[in-house]
Amino acid sequence: MSKILKAILWIAVSLAGATALSAIAFERKEPLNAVWFVVAAIATYMVAYRFYSKFIAAKVLGLDDTRATPAERLEDGKDFVPTNKWVLIGHHFAAIAGPGPLVGPTLAAQFGYMPGTLWLILGAVLGGCVQDFTTLFFSMRRNGKSLGQMAREEVGKRGGMLALLAVLAIMVILLAAVALIVVKALKDSPWGTFTLAMTIPIAMLIGIYLRYLRPGRVLEASIIGVALVLFAVVAGQWVNASPTWSNAFTLTGSALAIAIIIYGFAASALPVWLLLAPRDYLSAFIKIGAIAALAGGILFVRPTLQMPALTRFIDGSGPVFAGKIFPFCFITIACGAISGFHALISSGTTPKMIMHESNARMIGYGAMLMESFVGVMAMIAACVLSPGVYFAINAPAGIVGKTPEAAAKVIQSWGFPLDPQAIVTLAQRVGERTLLDRTGGAPSLAVGMAQIFSGTIGGDRLLSIWYHFAIMFEALFILTVLDAGTRVGRFMVQELGGHIWKPLGQRGWMPGILISSALICGAWGFFLWQGVQDPLGGINSVWPLFGIANQLLATVALVVGTTILMKMGKLKWIWVTLVPMAMLVAVTMTASYQKIFDANPRIGFLSQARVIAAQIATGAIPPDRAAAAERLIFNNRLDAAVTGVLAAMVCALIFEAITVWSGILFAGKQTTLHETPYVATRWAEGD
Amino acid sequence: MSPQNYRQGRITRALRKAWTYLRQVTGDAAYENYMKYCAANESNSNPPETMTRAEFYNDAQRRKYSTINRCC
Repeated sequence: MSKILKAILWIAVSLAGATALSAIAFERKEPLNAVWFVVAAIATYMVAYRFYSKFIAAKVLGLDDTRATPAERLEDGKDFVPTNKWVLIGHHFAAIAGPGPLVGPTLAAQFGYMPGTLWLILGAVLGGCVQDFTTLFFSMRRNGKSLGQMAREEVGKRGGMLALLAVLAIMVILLAAVALIVVKALKDSPWGTFTLAMTIPIAMLIGIYLRYLRPGRVLEASIIGVALVLFAVVAGQWVNASPTWSNAFTLTGSALAIAIIIYGFAASALPVWLLLAPRDYLSAFIKIGAIAALAGGILFVRPTLQMPALTRFIDGSGPVFAGKIFPFCFITIACGAISGFHALISSGTTPKMIMHESNARMIGYGAMLMESFVGVMAMIAACVLSPGVYFAINAPAGIVGKTPEAAAKVIQSWGFPLDPQAIVTLAQRVGERTLLDRTGGAPSLAVGMAQIFSGTIGGDRLLSIWYHFAIMFEALFILTVLDAGTRVGRFMVQELGGHIWKPLGQRGWMPGILISSALICGAWGFFLWQGVQDPLGGINSVWPLFGIANQLLATVALVVGTTILMKMGKLKWIWVTLVPMAMLVAVTMTASYQKIFDANPRIGFLSQARVIAAQIATGAIPPDRAAAAERLIFNNRLDAAVTGVLAAMVCALIFEAITVWSGILFAGKQTTLHETPYVATRWAEGD
Repeated sequence: MSPQNYRQGRITRALRKAWTYLRQVTGDAAYENYMKYCAANESNSNPPETMTRAEFYNDAQRRKYSTINRCC
């Protein structure tokens, strides 16, 4: 293609993106069609990938295809395996995409579609993709070292320890948050509970098949498994219709929480081939399938968004979670815009499999663009619901009351029309007893997805099947995160515990496995239990805690990245990581401060503890509920302490990094970069 | 080759390519990749141990789920 034609093409793409973005930002009169969002996202991604990621690759990082990658130098056929970039981006995307980019935007839709969408698109291209790409590159230049190891080598000894502790803490909160979402999605839902329960024996069957019947035949086993899971979704309606069976599968939140904690313990202690690995295959298949189906459905139906661009809740009084748009929109949408957890994946298995250095651009930057798009689709799915229905599903009973009439009255008073009968009918149409007080985002996302899917195939007849397909899809890969996370958390506990008591550090020692599994399940189980018992729905306290933890981890990754860039002598370009880092420091520190100290009891943990204490003192809480209230006080103080400790750890790391930086900048200190030395590739350049 | 044959050939090639990609990306072809690697490095001073398909699968699972490989 000639140069001029190319230039015209890129100008057209840029104009399309700019027009769509400004429509999202400024259009107030007409409801927008979802196509605007798709165009804004894709055009921005194209321009950012073509120009910004290329600039980072060439100028900032200096990707060099004459340099042999770890996959070439250390090839062992197992961990270090040179892999085609299209295959590797598939692996990498399957690893980074979890429930986060679906849940976060759904919750943040309470502010209206505008803030969340802009943050998803712009946060990704300027922040999240940069973090993933730079971390992947730095790890690749260090034989695939982990973020913690890089922090230790490049920032300082304490930096490494802080990173390890932060990762463990984040893991615990993350697991509690996602487990809470499953509980809220399956509470009093026999259909959903049955389907998810069935995925356990199905996974075991696949596990046995893969180990004993046809070892390693992943594709055929997965196809059998997916067929069985889809059948379980359909079979759920018969369970739902039968009085005996539906009673057996109708569980309360507390019962589900206990079941999930036991499940997590079992999955962590059992051999991987039996439950964890086969579930992972199933969930990866269904995840990619459902995401592709959602994209197809949005393009086919082209729904109009019902949610306004901004709602009154930007003032911080939102029912889904409390807090103003800054910082809480940026905390709630972590994955999808920028997610610190990705830095762990980008410094894990992926850098060991990259064939040529230049591939890191597509894999690191590109995969995160895809994840951002998943977030935008979740935002669309949440906003195609009428706002009244959205708030009826996502607002806790503590705020809108327990009956449809009461909820409709409160939601109408916010200015969103809602017919109490409509929400009852909608629940029946999707095969649920009730859609009220279903916090956590999964049910409202499922209703939105079911509307889009049934607009494509099946119409109203299949609405309930699509709804439960969406619930199964979310719950399935949340459980995958849960068991994989619990297992890794167990290894971390064993590693840390091994310093205190030697035998605990041996990975294969059965008592050690059981003790450490119980410790890690007990830790996230505690936060899960607290969320389930919380009268404000739990999400209000647990999800921001998770968002803060995740963004703090992203801060760690960007601090390490900025330090390395400085050591590489790229002072001119450090704004590439420094600007998103500064943004995240502002967001996380403001959010941490507000979650701990804010005077509003729905935001500040300490003021909520104070309010409950005052209620006990004045006798507003009857004596029989005083014990529960005391526990709430303790939980709030603990949440405040956890937030404070996490923020303090990251501050300590930043402080340590700043001493390194000022050493380089002002004292002219010679620092060592712990990059592996240059070795010329023996392979032909390019692909 | 007639135009029709040529088109058929193209479709078959595209399907075969898609199938290969699917097998690679799901990990279905991991053992073949490993055997290829072993064959290529047989003459090394320190040749890799050849495992059976089942041994390789179990080993890969153990390594895969010992590190963080799934995200939120």
